[in-house]
Amino acid sequence: MAAVKNFADKISFEQIKVELLNTAYGNDRTLIARLDPRTLFIWYMLFGIAPWFIYSKTILAGLLLFVIATTIMTRVSRLVIFILILGLLGESGYMLIAALFFGGNLSIVVPLLMLTMKLSVISLASMTTFCSMSPERLGEGLMSIGVPGQVSFSISYGYRMLPNLFDEYNHIFMSYRLRGKSPEKHGIFYWRSAAYFVRLAMKSFYPLLLSMAKRARTTVEALETKGGAYAFSTPQVKKLKLAKLKIGRNDYLFLLLSLIYLVFIFIIGHYIQL
Amino acid sequence: MAQIKERYTLTQPQKMMVFILSMSLYGLSNMITELVPEFNIGPVNFSIEYFAFIPLTLCILFHPFYAALGASVGEIIFGEIMLGQFGGFGEIEKLVLFTLAMCVAGLIVNNPKNKIQVGIAAITGVAIHQFLNMISDIMKVWIGVEDFEAVPGLPESVVAIEGFSFLNDVLFSGILFALLPTLYLVPRLYGKIEPLLGMKPRDNKTSYPISSILTPRFIAGGILLSAVGMGFEFLSEAGINVFEWEADFVDKFGNTAIFISLAVAAAVAALAVILMLSAKNRNKGNAVNE
Repeated sequence: MAAVKNFADKISFEQIKVELLNTAYGNDRTLIARLDPRTLFIWYMLFGIAPWFIYSKTILAGLLLFVIATTIMTRVSRLVIFILILGLLGESGYMLIAALFFGGNLSIVVPLLMLTMKLSVISLASMTTFCSMSPERLGEGLMSIGVPGQVSFSISYGYRMLPNLFDEYNHIFMSYRLRGKSPEKHGIFYWRSAAYFVRLAMKSFYPLLLSMAKRARTTVEALETKGGAYAFSTPQVKKLKLAKLKIGRNDYLFLLLSLIYLVFIFIIGHYIQL
Repeated sequence: MAQIKERYTLTQPQKMMVFILSMSLYGLSNMITELVPEFNIGPVNFSIEYFAFIPLTLCILFHPFYAALGASVGEIIFGEIMLGQFGGFGEIEKLVLFTLAMCVAGLIVNNPKNKIQVGIAAITGVAIHQFLNMISDIMKVWIGVEDFEAVPGLPESVVAIEGFSFLNDVLFSGILFALLPTLYLVPRLYGKIEPLLGMKPRDNKTSYPISSILTPRFIAGGILLSAVGMGFEFLSEAGINVFEWEADFVDKFGNTAIFISLAVAAAVAALAVILMLSAKNRNKGNAVNE
């Protein structure tokens, strides 16, 4: 119980905000974060798709070790990893229950383990790719592979705005709580309190909708004074923006090392079957 | 004389405003719902699936297409990429289905002051989205399980489970998190939020040119993208079943299979590189031409 309380204390609005900011901006000096976004995309294509076609446990384990190493290198925040683990456990647990329900037996555990391994390789690979880059780099990278400028702008904007939005939402929610009257009885399973909180959570969006509308207008006006709409659709501007992206020695080295490692574990997988 | 309905048009910056507004708010709500735990009582799932009322409200008040698209992109950015849960290609299916459902909900309403219309639109939007999800889920099992009909009771049970969760989502999430809040928000925001974006409120004198949203290109692209997305989703869902045919697959081809798979992955990566390089060259060519 104490552990639950301790954990509940940690998950506060403030904590989440700090963790998210850390994820977004806290680790852009790591080795992987300094690679070119396009290198990481290519890398992600390898590690995000290949696991689906691999059925050897040795190779999957090797891949898993590798992406765990890269994830540690990117210093992803704990909150993100916690959510990932929760999701993975939930998914496989659910499948296990469903399979048992439909008359399977425990022999299904091994394939499930394999599936979990595949899913973790893919999730960790996407984490390495997308959480290591700062939002600006991610936006530039996406732009360089042909995603419209609006989307890449939205990503940088979203990351910038989110902490403020989170703060504002929290303030509105708190002020509703201050002015409101919480239910006197919790009800069975706390349903009264839960219903009250959910209602407040939804009501709090009303003021936020209005203030966000004002903010969206300011943003777009500021964007327009710099010729935003024109810039999004002009190839020269894009070229200018992306001029600083360069695939350098480190990128080739990173890809080469990953490939060598892949070949290496494939050879090992050829001789050793787990 | 019959009054000619004016087309509801927005300037480029206004579209961007709607997009940003919808993206930020739905993204924020998505993060909140991701972090709220869910309760299961028997087969009934009391989770806050999503705060569908935000995109619904915005689709009803503003241009449905941009609001819906913004919401989908917001979900992917805030709910997936930021929390490190980006599923890659499977997300495309989500994006298309959600945009489509919300867009249709917005198109149903031509007078936001009419509560009955708003209510119908809200429920329809959720129902369409959940229905499409259900179909895609059933299809995945259908394709994924070999001899689907041969297993006694399986088709019925899959349809029953999916159908039940569909009803559960529409009746529980749909009413609590889409219908009621939308009915609360739309009349309150109508006429207040539009001037903040420098627009006139929608009224029944303006009509949406549906044909300009649902162009053949958009439909074709949507179908293609969702097919691709479904293919990848199918791969992820079929994980378990893959093992069943995997056994004789490996027996037949031995370790060649592994090298084939490596080759496939490498080929995909190589293709991406080539495409990127050719795009670069094309851009260079364009620049020279200009």
